[in-house]
Amino acid sequence: MADALMVQPDHAFIREVIRDSGGELKKCFQCATCSSVCAHSTEVRPFPRKQMLEAQWGMGNRLLGDPAIWLCHDCGDCTARCPRGARPSAVMDAIRLAVIKRIAFPRFMGSVASNLGGAVLLFIFSALLLLSIAVLPLGGSFARPLIYGEMFPKARLEPMFYVVGVYVAMALLVGMMRLVRALRATGVQGAILPALLPALIEITLHRRFASCGSGQIRRWGHLLVFSAFLGLAVMGTAVGVGSMLGLIDTPLPMLHPLKVFANLCALVLAVGAAILVWVRWADQEKRAGSSFGDWYFLVLLGGVGFTGILTEAVRMGQNLDWMFTIYFIHLCLVLTLFLSTPYSKFAHFLYRTIAMAAAWQESQSPARGQAVAGGPDVALPEGPGLPHVI
Amino acid sequence: MDKKLGVYICSGCSIGESLDVDRLAEVAKKDCKVPVCRTHACLCGDEGIAQMRADLAEGTVNTMVIAACSPRAKMECFNFGAGPIVERVNLREQVAWSHQPKDEDTQMLAGDYLRMGIAKAEKMEPLEPLTEAISRTVLVVGGGVTGIHAALDGADAGYDVLLVEKEAQLGGFLGSLKKTFPTRAPYTKAADNDLAKKIGAVCAHPRVRVFCSTQVVRTEGQPGMFDVTLQNGHGTETHRVGSIVLATGWKPYERARLALPGCELPDVVTNVELERMAASGPVRRPSDGVPAKSVLFVQCAGSRDPAHLSYCSSVCCMSTLKEAEILREENPAIEIFVIYRDMITPGQYEAYYQSLQNHPRNFFVKGTVKSLERETSGKVIANIDDSLFGSPIRVAADLVVLATGMAPNSADNDAIRTLREARRTVERNESETQRVEAEKVIAQLQDREGTEILHLGYRQGPDLPVLQNGFPDSHFVCFPYETQRTGIYAAGAVRAPMDAALAAEDASGAMMKAIQSVEMAVNGQAVHPRAGDLSYPNFALQRCTQCKRCTVECPFGAIDEDEKGTPRFNPYRCRRCGICMGACPERIISFKNYSVDMIAGMVKAIEVPDEFEDKPRILIFACENDAYPALDQAGMSHAAYDASVCVIPLRCLGSMNVVWIADALSRGIDGVMLMGCKFGDDYQCHFIRGSELANRRLENVKDTLQRLQLESGRVELVQLAINEYDRVPQLIDNFVARVRELGPNPYKGF
Repeated sequence: MADALMVQPDHAFIREVIRDSGGELKKCFQCATCSSVCAHSTEVRPFPRKQMLEAQWGMGNRLLGDPAIWLCHDCGDCTARCPRGARPSAVMDAIRLAVIKRIAFPRFMGSVASNLGGAVLLFIFSALLLLSIAVLPLGGSFARPLIYGEMFPKARLEPMFYVVGVYVAMALLVGMMRLVRALRATGVQGAILPALLPALIEITLHRRFASCGSGQIRRWGHLLVFSAFLGLAVMGTAVGVGSMLGLIDTPLPMLHPLKVFANLCALVLAVGAAILVWVRWADQEKRAGSSFGDWYFLVLLGGVGFTGILTEAVRMGQNLDWMFTIYFIHLCLVLTLFLSTPYSKFAHFLYRTIAMAAAWQESQSPARGQAVAGGPDVALPEGPGLPHVI
Repeated sequence: MDKKLGVYICSGCSIGESLDVDRLAEVAKKDCKVPVCRTHACLCGDEGIAQMRADLAEGTVNTMVIAACSPRAKMECFNFGAGPIVERVNLREQVAWSHQPKDEDTQMLAGDYLRMGIAKAEKMEPLEPLTEAISRTVLVVGGGVTGIHAALDGADAGYDVLLVEKEAQLGGFLGSLKKTFPTRAPYTKAADNDLAKKIGAVCAHPRVRVFCSTQVVRTEGQPGMFDVTLQNGHGTETHRVGSIVLATGWKPYERARLALPGCELPDVVTNVELERMAASGPVRRPSDGVPAKSVLFVQCAGSRDPAHLSYCSSVCCMSTLKEAEILREENPAIEIFVIYRDMITPGQYEAYYQSLQNHPRNFFVKGTVKSLERETSGKVIANIDDSLFGSPIRVAADLVVLATGMAPNSADNDAIRTLREARRTVERNESETQRVEAEKVIAQLQDREGTEILHLGYRQGPDLPVLQNGFPDSHFVCFPYETQRTGIYAAGAVRAPMDAALAAEDASGAMMKAIQSVEMAVNGQAVHPRAGDLSYPNFALQRCTQCKRCTVECPFGAIDEDEKGTPRFNPYRCRRCGICMGACPERIISFKNYSVDMIAGMVKAIEVPDEFEDKPRILIFACENDAYPALDQAGMSHAAYDASVCVIPLRCLGSMNVVWIADALSRGIDGVMLMGCKFGDDYQCHFIRGSELANRRLENVKDTLQRLQLESGRVELVQLAINEYDRVPQLIDNFVARVRELGPNPYKGF
């Protein structure tokens, strides 16, 4: 028993999970109904039964390197069938958030997106940053008719976003490295790079959402948000690079293909976010199991899309009173979204991809259905009295 | 008594369609010369009953043979009180409903049954019920929660109760506890212990006499007239009581017997020890007195383990939860780990489990604690295997608590008796080998020395016999509270592991049985399972050879011996099974309505046709408790079987005297089948080992058969449960086929 794991509950971790959406964590009595009904749980990597136990016992370090928490797509099938009302999907959500905090860079930023105070601070910070490059240089007045390029001078706005972008990328990179290290520490050996492509294909096609029991509506909501973001990212990069090289002159005319595409993306983003908000709100269990972080992320997403469209509409209507305010709010939201990316639910786009890639090999290997050697997480217990443990 | 026989044949319930009732009446009138023989289309109807009552009232009839339905049916209807002799002949279930209607064989069978009934009735005598003076006082042994409740229930029901407790005060184990399991909604908090109120009530009750610091040193006599000698600091005194409730409770399973490595470490305690520690301030580590910041509970420490206690002790999960609550009250930050096999918290107690489980610093996991070891820091590490974590884990705690289970505070009568006999053998020192054997027995059983509780003055040993796991049962499922000694009922944790709430209910059950027992004794009636039976065995002692078989085989210790070995019968201890009657080689034991002679007369009444081919004759002795009802049930479902079998019901297969088999075979009957209850560890016999004894006697019968040059296959014993009626036709038909293969009984026609 020398290699047996010494268990010492991490009370801070337990508190964190319970305070977040895992409030019913301790109700779990390990019947494993959750693992049986989960469409994504496999024999190689069953969840969320064991994750519930590990969270109950405060085994934060083990969960940090557990790809299963990312394989969960939070559909709520387990929560709907849990006989004790322990809400496993909400607990998994809370575990993910706790992990995001633990691998955050810099660490003190970890909880900025999971509580109201942090979120407000981040928004104020964004607003001040934007004001500092817009209002301060102009001495507090604007030229009329208003030109965005003059309100937030491109020469300042764009470099600011580059700096923020580099910071976010760095934070994500460090978080990713920490995650990979944790995965390796718990014995997940799959090579990540070669598995990235198939994992990305699966993610793009939303295959996993298709098998969740919560219905297709959520899949469509996520697919819309996902596509819109992808489109906006591509478009934004194209416009940014184009205007830098002098190939594109902003603002683009309304019928410019890129403009049409961008507007479409914004619309899709707003619709997708609205669907996700509705799904979360309409399901009583899901609503009850939602934390501040869930709402924060969704509202921010929807807000960016919605204010983007509104900005354009107001500009076209030449409503000078509202143009500045709404554009400013839009920019604030975009900046807040950027800054909170590594610390909010948003980070799952990267961490889930990495975890899925790392676990890709084992899910494809012929050993599926048996315990994978070397993985203490998946070694099935031996001995009498314990039926097949899922 | 001058017998005036009347035969009443019913033709209702399709008996008339199946049989020629008039020809049957001829059997009674012509063959048996019965003076009164009546038939009726509905004997159990008002008209039929009125006719029978009129015959009784006029004095034309005082002995009735009622040939109608099974004796198990319409018992109230055909109950004519203690006066007349009544014998029932089963024409409905076992003839009309189970054989070919209007068939010659069926008719012959009915004729045989009627002759058998008449033959028995001719030999039956009126009952003379027991009428001795009966004490209605109940003795309760043990003043814990069970004993206190039993005493209160008995006293409230109007019976005088003597409550005996060996400790200086009442209360038992429960009395030592601060808190008990939750008792009221929402069942999420331990309740304050309110046993003190009950103790006050029992001490103040005018019908209860409480004896503390007192032990039972002798129990003589029989139900209704037990003479119990109590001893305490003031001396001894003898009280007469009618029945006894044994409520001696439990003891914790000994930690030293556990096979868990490390369980002897100083910072490992049992749950009972923890209760004591918690009763006096914060719980500290015994080794250094440091208050415990983390406590690990090992559930099922001995329980549900075939090597220790094979049963679930039923309270350990709950007491662990309760102790967790108490520990947290002392120290809100304490870490509590519970390593369980299954958390067993039935009924409302589940709410308690959930409420305790919900605390972030209570940690539960299913797993097996393989060993305990001491860490250099002073903590104890539990090595846990088979856990739901999927890999071995180690957990360190300041204190480890073994949730040890409940062992009954019972005395193993048979072990004590064996030990005593071994000591006598050593004293006598007759042969070297015997002495060596006896010394081995003494070494093995010497820890039983002095464990007697009731000190019964019974030939069969000083206390209650125990069955599995040391519980003094008679039959746990069918006869709760019954022990193997009539008039003595077990209640509470001595009977089965249970918590205080259940023990209080159990106390009521056992006390009601004890009251029933004295009331039946007052009427001279038998208790369960032949409840209400007024008959009892009579011993023709002038012919007794002192072989002691009856005194040894009586399952209830009803028969003592004098110095010469002559049986001394205690009728109130008797359950009227007749096992003594089956055992007696001299056939000196008989009931007024059930004897070796009567059954032999019935066997002789069977007409055995000389031609074998179509008409072999098979006899079935069927136990009245299970096999006979199964046969009836087979008839009710109209399951046809061979008409060459005749069934004679016996009170218990153990009452079967082998002479009947010899009689039957010598009369030319081709085969004999014995239908009894299942025997062995999970026996279903209502009299504990009747069918087993019959099986043993059968071995001797087989020797006799060989001497007579008869095939041993002609006699067979089958074990039949009451619900196995669907097996009946096949069992019988297969046996008949085997007997046909053997050919006719060579003694036919002699």
